[in-house]
Amino acid sequence: MMATLQWGTLVICTVVLLLRVPDAIQGRNRTVFGILLIATLCSLLSVAGPYEAIDGVLGGWNLTHLILRFLVFAAVLLVGLRMARGLEDARGYRLIAGPAGRWALAASAVAVAATFFLMDTRGSSAGLLDITDHGGRNTVLAPFYAAAGRTYPGFVSLALLPALLATTRSQLPRLVRAAAFLTCVGALATAVSVPASFAPETWTLAQQTVNYLAVVGYVLGLGLFWFSGVAAQGPGNARATFRKNKG
Amino acid sequence: MPLPAKAFQLWLHQVAPSASTADICRISGIKRTTLAQQLVRGKVAETTLVSISRALNLNPLAALATFEHYAELATSPQPPTPAELVSQVATMDLLRAVISRSSPAYGGYGDSGSSLTPGLGPAPHATSVRNWVDAIDDGELRHRVSAATGVAPQNYSAQLTANRLSPELAVATSRAAGVGFTGGLVATGLITEEEAGWPPGAKQSALDALSDGELASLAGERLQALGKSLRRQEQEQAQTEKIWENLG
Repeated sequence: MMATLQWGTLVICTVVLLLRVPDAIQGRNRTVFGILLIATLCSLLSVAGPYEAIDGVLGGWNLTHLILRFLVFAAVLLVGLRMARGLEDARGYRLIAGPAGRWALAASAVAVAATFFLMDTRGSSAGLLDITDHGGRNTVLAPFYAAAGRTYPGFVSLALLPALLATTRSQLPRLVRAAAFLTCVGALATAVSVPASFAPETWTLAQQTVNYLAVVGYVLGLGLFWFSGVAAQGPGNARATFRKNKG
Repeated sequence: MPLPAKAFQLWLHQVAPSASTADICRISGIKRTTLAQQLVRGKVAETTLVSISRALNLNPLAALATFEHYAELATSPQPPTPAELVSQVATMDLLRAVISRSSPAYGGYGDSGSSLTPGLGPAPHATSVRNWVDAIDDGELRHRVSAATGVAPQNYSAQLTANRLSPELAVATSRAAGVGFTGGLVATGLITEEEAGWPPGAKQSALDALSDGELASLAGERLQALGKSLRRQEQEQAQTEKIWENLG
């Protein structure tokens, strides 16, 4: 089941990434391509095989996982800024780009690094799922490490939610609204994943589902935003028609 | 409420006893799957009945009146009021009338303008439903319709904005306003003016009967509403462009 989640997420990210390649080559919205690239890299690193291979090269003490956290922060920052600007959400943009956002990013980064270095992280383990097996401090620290890594994404998602909800309920073209809805699902899952970090071990599957749903929601949302634009440029879709107001 | 399938099949058997369902679909241009689905669900749309009536050269209004829900349509047909007739004149035709009545210096014909104006377009037009309801609204109409039908006022308004109104609500609105039943059915495009029994030229006469002041005010209201809806569309267009520019 876990493997399905991991591979499913990786496949979805890769497909959306590949679809965006032609536009990226033409220089259109390379930031969005960068976001998708980081998301794909992150989902690749959450699969055991590639993770262990890369972590082995880096010394086998799960440094890869820490790097992964910072990659996620970078992707989330870019998504937040792009979404807020695209949805003309001045409040959300101020929250993310302003002092509040910078403090949230700094605090999350410090908390993640601190808890990481306090743990005994030897022995490559994708998603650090086996790290608690070492016992001792790790059992206590692992949930805090996970929560710290999701706090900043959670903050950005909450900042974006009002604008995403408003777009979902607006009169804009259906595909645009559907994209906003998918992104909404991703943002909600991201926000929920923070408290879910402290869920008991028997809930691991549900917890992981929320984590992957967050990635899939955001990536599919971005993909659909892109597709809605492509679809509208197709033949027979004159953009500025006054269909409703002929008379 | 759509027509009950049982009553519909009874009616169909009476008007076209020998025709198969396939024949009916072919002559009326209704997709077979559509009709089959409506029959299975037990609810046949009024538009289906109208299409079939037209194909069989029957008056759709009379056909509709044979059903229990629409029995009132048969009782003493009340002609549309002048206000209802004018509401079914398209905004651009209304503006053309304003110009026709203006002095020749502005491209009009002066006082004889009315008779020289080009013919009016057929109903329904782009905002015919809302204009019709506005024409018969005494200020409390929406509340009365809502109370009588149980449809929430915001849902009713949403239908008007979309230039739509179910035939059932159109009839309920006429009843609540105390006007004839054909106005709403024409405004929603279910039946044509001719099928409703409106005399040819009725809209034109009602338009001609407006004084210059009334015409100018009405045209002004229509332009205001058109401007509002165009501005909203432009704003939505700009929002969408912004999304595509940043996320596309």
